[in-house]
Amino acid sequence: MRNILVIAGRELRSSFNTPVAYVVIVFFLLFTSVWFFFIQQFFAQDNASLRDYFGVFPAAFVLLIPAISMRSWAEERKLGTHELLLTFPVRDVELVLGKYLAGMALLAVILVLTAAIPLGVTPFGPFDRGPILTEYLGALLLGGAELSIGIFISAVSTSQITSFLISAFCLLVLSFIGEVPKFVEMPDGAAAVVTYLSLDYHFDSFREGLIDSRDIAYFLLAAFVFLYANVKALLIAKWR
Amino acid sequence: MIEARDLVKRYGSFEAVRGVTFTVPEGQVVGLLGPNGAGKTTIMRILTCYHFPSSGTARVNAHDVREEPLEVKKSVGYLPENAPLYADLKVLEYLRFIARIRGLPPAALRERVEWSIAQCGLAPVVYRDIGRLSKGYRQRVGLAQAILHDPRTLIMDEPTTGLDPGQIIEIRELIRELGREKTVVLSTHILQEVESICDEVIILNNGLVAAQGTAGELERSLASAVVLAVVVQARSAGEVDRELESFEQGRVTRRPSDLGSGRVLFELALDTGVSESAVFDWAVSRGLKIAGMTPKSSNLEEIFLKLTRPGQADA
Repeated sequence: MRNILVIAGRELRSSFNTPVAYVVIVFFLLFTSVWFFFIQQFFAQDNASLRDYFGVFPAAFVLLIPAISMRSWAEERKLGTHELLLTFPVRDVELVLGKYLAGMALLAVILVLTAAIPLGVTPFGPFDRGPILTEYLGALLLGGAELSIGIFISAVSTSQITSFLISAFCLLVLSFIGEVPKFVEMPDGAAAVVTYLSLDYHFDSFREGLIDSRDIAYFLLAAFVFLYANVKALLIAKWR
Repeated sequence: MIEARDLVKRYGSFEAVRGVTFTVPEGQVVGLLGPNGAGKTTIMRILTCYHFPSSGTARVNAHDVREEPLEVKKSVGYLPENAPLYADLKVLEYLRFIARIRGLPPAALRERVEWSIAQCGLAPVVYRDIGRLSKGYRQRVGLAQAILHDPRTLIMDEPTTGLDPGQIIEIRELIRELGREKTVVLSTHILQEVESICDEVIILNNGLVAAQGTAGELERSLASAVVLAVVVQARSAGEVDRELESFEQGRVTRRPSDLGSGRVLFELALDTGVSESAVFDWAVSRGLKIAGMTPKSSNLEEIFLKLTRPGQADA
């Protein structure tokens, strides 16, 4: 555990010593706010709900998460620090979890900062606290699953840019693949599978204020699978 | 103590190391010498558990690199080629990170960080961003990182590449100092480096050990003659040529030639075990005055070229 914290601490320090973290934070806050107030016209809707605000999170995460995760392994390989990192007396799983924890911490900071929106609009209407907290839980779980995918892709791609592009593409597909059956004719079974795989589909129930253990299990399982794959990728690289 | 047996490492279809066996006794400084692509870096990566060998075994301080990588990593300090560092950390932040990841307890952390800063002369730059340091300072930060946890074994990949002559001397001094109590393996393609700091040399070529031993042993075993260029004062080259017939401790590799103003140049290859003083003795006995004498090339250099030049492997 100690090693995981040391790795995560180093990651965060590097992120906040450079403009990267700040750019990512500002991008996300601006993007979601512009969406909510100008495109969705929150004040014109006369509706005391933040569903539309959280509704843009899956789309914004498609860019946000790869921006957070692209550095994690690709940068180490570019600098050559990968070679030192893997020769420290630390288990591979601790390295992966350290990087994951750093990404989650940055994501948590961003989500805390977005709380300015709910706090800012509460005076204007009878907002229900429950659904908003549920929406935050959903955002954290969604981001957690996506981060593990992004960090895994960073581990197997050759540069930060390819890592970003591949991750963004994968997340785009995974997020909205559930929309495909609405436009394309396909057998019911296939449609159900495709919908069930979609990240957005599982996030939707949180947006409606529902906490469903199946959705939680889906996100946790996705995170686990890709973190595990990441550990294996490190091992395979030693044999190649 | 490092023991490598029949190490083989394949990257795809390319065999970087093709069956290498060697031992580095405790407390020795050993240089891996060889042209680029000889397998030096690959061997170091195996010893530091960055890569696993395709076959063969390596034990570092009695721990197998495949079975107990964590134990190996704990007892080794590693400086990879070009000293890779996190450019966006300050020197002090970086060394503290290393101390924590190396598992130093908080009480020892401060002391060890200060010690390594002092050892590597980093005091003037501790609050500077690593990304803004000169090559020489970066190399020293890399070295500070490697010795921070006081490892039994130090592995350094080309520790002096890219440094200016002054810095090279400083780093070599430091390595020699560390080598008094630690087992050190370093790679280089600079011959003087091996001669000045290493107890023993392993010459690698094409993924194989071409020769191993102390510099002296290698010279003896390969019977590489010392070649001297000698200038004597004499009336003519012919006279020197005649007198040389009486020199029995070597052979003439270049016949005498006049340099003008009474000076004659020739070259001699001395027999094994014969020192330069034999040439002086001969000159005195023949009434010739030696005006100058230079060894044609460093002996190790000759061995190195003999062993690693393509087409001369059997020389």
